Amino acid sequence: MSEMKKIKNLKEFSTSADRFEGANLLCPGCAHSIIVREILNATNDPVVLSASTGCLEVCTAVYPYTSWDASWIHIGFENSSTAIAGAEAMYKALQRKNRLPDSCEGKSPKFIAFGGDGATYDIGFQWISGCFERGHDMMYVCLDNEVYANTGGQRSSATPIGASTTTSPAGRVSYGEKMNKKDMVQIMAAHGSPYVAQVAPNKWKDMIKKIQKGFSTKGPVYINAMSACTTEWKFAPDDTIAVSDLATDSLVFPLYEIENGTKLTITYRPKNKIPVRDYLGAQGRFKHLFKPEYEYLIDEWQKRVDDYWEYLQRREEAGV
Amino acid sequence: MAEKMELNEVEVWDGNMAASQALRQAQVDVVAAYPITPSTPIVQNYSSFLANGYIDGEFVMVESEHAAMSGCVGAAAAGGRVATATSSQGFALMSEVLYQASGMRLPIVLTVVNRALAAPLNVNGDHSDMYLGRDSGWIQLDAFNCQQAYDLTLMAFRIGEDHSIRLPVMVHQDGFITSHTAENVKPLSDDEAYEFVGEYKPMNAMLDLAKPVTYGVQTEEDWHFEHKARQHADLMTKVFGKVEEVFDAFEKKTGRKYNIVEEYMMEDAEVAIVALGTTVETSELVAKMMREEGIKAGVVAPRLFRPWPFEQIRKALANVKAVACLDRSSPNGALGALYNEVTASLYQNDNRPVITNYIYGLGGRDFTIDHAKEIFKELDANAKEGRPTTPLQQFVGLRGPKLSFY
Amino acid sequence: MKYLGWDELLPGAILFSFDEEMEKDACEVLPENRPYAETNSHEAYVGDWRVLKPVYNRDLCIDCQFCWIYCPDVSIISRDKKMIGVDYDHCKGCGICVEVCPTNPKSLLMFDEHVENEKALAQWPEKE
Repeated sequence: MSEMKKIKNLKEFSTSADRFEGANLLCPGCAHSIIVREILNATNDPVVLSASTGCLEVCTAVYPYTSWDASWIHIGFENSSTAIAGAEAMYKALQRKNRLPDSCEGKSPKFIAFGGDGATYDIGFQWISGCFERGHDMMYVCLDNEVYANTGGQRSSATPIGASTTTSPAGRVSYGEKMNKKDMVQIMAAHGSPYVAQVAPNKWKDMIKKIQKGFSTKGPVYINAMSACTTEWKFAPDDTIAVSDLATDSLVFPLYEIENGTKLTITYRPKNKIPVRDYLGAQGRFKHLFKPEYEYLIDEWQKRVDDYWEYLQRREEAGV
Repeated sequence: MAEKMELNEVEVWDGNMAASQALRQAQVDVVAAYPITPSTPIVQNYSSFLANGYIDGEFVMVESEHAAMSGCVGAAAAGGRVATATSSQGFALMSEVLYQASGMRLPIVLTVVNRALAAPLNVNGDHSDMYLGRDSGWIQLDAFNCQQAYDLTLMAFRIGEDHSIRLPVMVHQDGFITSHTAENVKPLSDDEAYEFVGEYKPMNAMLDLAKPVTYGVQTEEDWHFEHKARQHADLMTKVFGKVEEVFDAFEKKTGRKYNIVEEYMMEDAEVAIVALGTTVETSELVAKMMREEGIKAGVVAPRLFRPWPFEQIRKALANVKAVACLDRSSPNGALGALYNEVTASLYQNDNRPVITNYIYGLGGRDFTIDHAKEIFKELDANAKEGRPTTPLQQFVGLRGPKLSFY
Repeated sequence: MKYLGWDELLPGAILFSFDEEMEKDACEVLPENRPYAETNSHEAYVGDWRVLKPVYNRDLCIDCQFCWIYCPDVSIISRDKKMIGVDYDHCKGCGICVEVCPTNPKSLLMFDEHVENEKALAQWPEKE
């Protein structure tokens, strides 16, 4: 393990040399690349990367251009986890056999897999579960924008109740998505993963701290990164950070971590907790909830968020 | 360092043990695998080698065959020797990633113990899975017995990993008939085998941190066609020469001769069976019997199923009068794959024999000496008449009314 | 990049990030010193995606680096802890940098793409 990169403040952080390049094809205002930049800049160790099919993948490796300044692989929609686990296994084998390439000798590359929520919560769920059960030394990052954004905004099992998507549209007799969001963070913690955390790119300091903690943890680390999606959440591209702030300050996306599946710590407590209504109101995907007949859903939302926050606090207090 | 295994000059191995010993001797860096009948013992044997100190590579027991091939692709792109094993439904499940492996030009070795595809579910040997792989861009070698399963697995690494080839290779053997039948196998010593396979030479490795590389790009209508054409061209032009070169080197080392298309008593044959797998040896035995009955019978067997040995098949069957193509897979609405390939090849010859198609042995149904005799007799009649005396496609060994077409 | 024939392609459709072997990891080499390959998107241009562009006013900037960290397109150029400008080849004009800028008046503002930067700076608003 090499020394952890020192990041005292944002000025110091800004001296980082990015390993992720511009002129990728992500939408203007996309949070994916903000997340990727923060993660890659959190370490000075080499990184070996994979991505599942999805926005990040189709926008950063469209022939003849790559936006990656580190080795990167994409296989399919479901298997970025196993792809990087395979690379990690090869690293271990070659290290044991003294056959690592000279350029890799003595280095501690970090193996990182990226996937959207569709690739993580849905189609790639089994592969991730397998990788975590086997204990590969890797970090899996879910870029959670709560929708299949790359293919035009279909619902995934990360889509929250009431969101209008192209396969759960709000209509004359429907308020949109009917199911509650799957709790992936808890599911990954239940794997006994040494470190699981929910992060948001607007809270960069909290995020960097967790990413660095993840990098210094041996074994499979799961990071659920909220990725506000200008296109599918339907807000203006320059509002990405503002909407992200609404998400973290309304506690719709609480920021916390779980160590070894048993020790939960809340890492961010908003000074001024804002109503969930404000978060919902900032996004076109929830516009229909503000009709009188669906107002009750907003109340239910608030209760659900309050209950979950209560639950997190109780666990933290109990040290479990 | 892994322990070396002391082997006898002649071992009694089944096909699964033969394949797993070859994987062990090749000192594979990463095996990511998932068990499935009838290839399960390959994975079990390998686990046992690991548990007893004979393996120093990584062995990753994944949660599905799709993950097995996904892990293999990641490991191979990282830059080292990679192999796995599967059969049937497992093969079908990993088929998405088979195309990814070959498209990224990653030389993974896959030992396939051939088995039928459901439904209805069946654990026995036929060639449905092998045929499923035929457009996947892999090199496909076919073993007809345990010795060949061992030999071809060793050779597969040397063929696929060559920098001029860089393609994944499947080594097929018949489920149960080969995989679970113990035969005499003459192995190389561990040192000799590894020396023959050679140390893995990385190429465009992800772990070469000085030269970051992107694998698995997206190409649309402006680039996709050229990349697929490049892969096809390499399969069509580079593989045959390399396979011959490796077969020659292996013959020098062991005395065991392999050919891209195997021929048995074809020098003066007038009628021939074309077959794959264990049926080849049955057909050879019967061809010899038919000679005693005055029928000039021979057998032709593609050792290399992909790329398809078009020229070698044309040559092997240049002078025959009647050919039977035996397909051990339900074509489900067409003539058999072997029939179509052989017929397309021979259509280019001046001499166009009568060619008929037999569907046989599905789900492990026995293919007997009597079946082969009957086929040779029908071929003899076809040869004498100069036209088919039977329907073009017939089912062999099937209960119920005779099933045939055209 | 010019279109290549099938026979000119690298097998496996792989792409390299750099033309030369890197002695150090890219994270230790500033972009201006990297041997970018033609196939690195750093060499590509997306400036034509913009309708509005961010214009930077050095006189007002406090180098907080919020614009740097929240720029999705690696288009805020910061060196030695100082913000020095916008990379117009890679900026898509999302406007996040302007939104997160904390100074009053802001040190980054959006202007029509066709307005020259000097003219934009001349019409900068006063403190609110």
